[in-house]
Amino acid sequence: MVTAETPEGILLELRPAGLSARFYAFALDALIRIAILYAAAIGLLFLGGLGVAILFILTFLLEWFYPVAFELTPSGATPGKKVFGLRVVMDNGLPVTAAASVTRNLLRVADFLPFGYGFAIVSILLRRDCKRLGDIAAGTLVLHEPRKAGRIALDSVPPLAPAAPLTPEDQAALIAFAARAPRLTGERLDELAALAAVVSGDAGRQGPEVTRRVLGVAQWALGRR
Amino acid sequence: MTPLQFEALYQAEWDELETLLDRVLGRSGAGRRRDPSEEIPGARVAALYRRACEQLALARARAYPTYIVDRLERLTADGHQVIYRGHEFGFARLKQMLAIEFPRAVRKQWRYVAAASAIFVIPTIAVGLLIYWRPELILAVVSPETAASFEEMYSPGAESIGRVRDASTDWIMFGYYIRNNIGVAFQCFAGGLFAGVGSLFFLAYNGAFGGAVAGYLTERGLSSTFYSFVATHAAFELTAIVLSGAAGLRIGHALLAPGRLTRRQALVEATRESATILYGITAMLVVAAGIEAFWSSARWLAPAVKYSVAAMCWVAVLAYLTMQGRRAG
Repeated sequence: MVTAETPEGILLELRPAGLSARFYAFALDALIRIAILYAAAIGLLFLGGLGVAILFILTFLLEWFYPVAFELTPSGATPGKKVFGLRVVMDNGLPVTAAASVTRNLLRVADFLPFGYGFAIVSILLRRDCKRLGDIAAGTLVLHEPRKAGRIALDSVPPLAPAAPLTPEDQAALIAFAARAPRLTGERLDELAALAAVVSGDAGRQGPEVTRRVLGVAQWALGRR
Repeated sequence: MTPLQFEALYQAEWDELETLLDRVLGRSGAGRRRDPSEEIPGARVAALYRRACEQLALARARAYPTYIVDRLERLTADGHQVIYRGHEFGFARLKQMLAIEFPRAVRKQWRYVAAASAIFVIPTIAVGLLIYWRPELILAVVSPETAASFEEMYSPGAESIGRVRDASTDWIMFGYYIRNNIGVAFQCFAGGLFAGVGSLFFLAYNGAFGGAVAGYLTERGLSSTFYSFVATHAAFELTAIVLSGAAGLRIGHALLAPGRLTRRQALVEATRESATILYGITAMLVVAAGIEAFWSSARWLAPAVKYSVAAMCWVAVLAYLTMQGRRAG
């Protein structure tokens, strides 16, 4: 996790994308580039010399400027990155600038060495912010797009006042537990609820009824009465 | 205040901000494709964004549930992107870049440009003279077939200069030069990331290779075709390669001797300065490729014409880099 401070004094939490997500995005982009080139070649070769020239220029543009063109769109991501929910931003969380995008993509040459993006892989694996050399030099980051967190669905559980006053941290932990409830098995839910049973005055007991009461306290902490 | 009260109180504001931001960012599903000409109330976006920032700080301090904090984080992150976005596109910017910033950036880094020129030119002359003196040494650089093809390309009988046979047209060569030469220049630049060693290598290598070909062809008595071919586009191409090497050296120097900055800050700073130079050399190399493909190769132009145009190009390029943009600002 990397943070960037805004002028308003809040910290934006940025989630850098690791090697696997970036590899998949890169592979997809490579396929797209090959497909474009192949399709263009079929059409352009009928044009003779001019067609070959356009093909050379297209190869050049795809090689160096395909990522730049897409990173400068509002989504800040190549099609491959978009599919895997990634985007390129500056270190301060702002959209990537043209200069930074050009540099990070030209420096691919250095990242590629000694072979097969060796330096890029080592750099991404070693760094907390998962930057390759081009990202370090250009001051850019590749992030996971923030995902929408689901709302807490507890409508069936009646709210219950806690047995003792709860600190804000306790309340936050209970609410986080309630948010995870739909994704846990019944048995595991009961085990976890037993650890927190003291909040509903059921310390030492375990079972579906205790779980309902603990989740009820979570409802109360959320503000339902 | 409980989380639900908090949410109920500010929900409407968040929804409004979300819709506005989705419209600005052009996200699908935003407002069902409303009329694009409709004004986006900038002041309202900014006000809502500042309020969302406050609310996020509150929500974090009070440890409100993740879904509320997450939503506010997304809203503020998007708002931050929209409000503090830089504007650096358009023709005015491009003109400013080529008319003022590029030559200025080159002059600012004249030490690196001088070093890169020396590293490029000295091997060119040394290897050129060596091969002129002992032409058989060309075989240490290229295979006998390649050496023979050089001779064929620049022989007085060739229909257009600088190419093997006549299978290729001017347009093909234009595309080829763009792909090849700009790639070489970008390599010279990127090599700087390895403490400058890569830039040194690529500069010296390209210099030595060019020198070898020149020395060999001069010894074979083909100097008039060869030099009249290279003289014009060299003004743009060789200068651009030296400049990209200079940008690479600047980066390498920043890494080796960062001064009072950290190495990483020094690197980011050096790269930012080099970006302008990269735009400039890309433009120069496109011009070079055009000249090389359509003008340099033309057989029907007398060498005297080519030499005079070449001289003018060299004067123009050097004057552009040394004088342009001095008065502005």
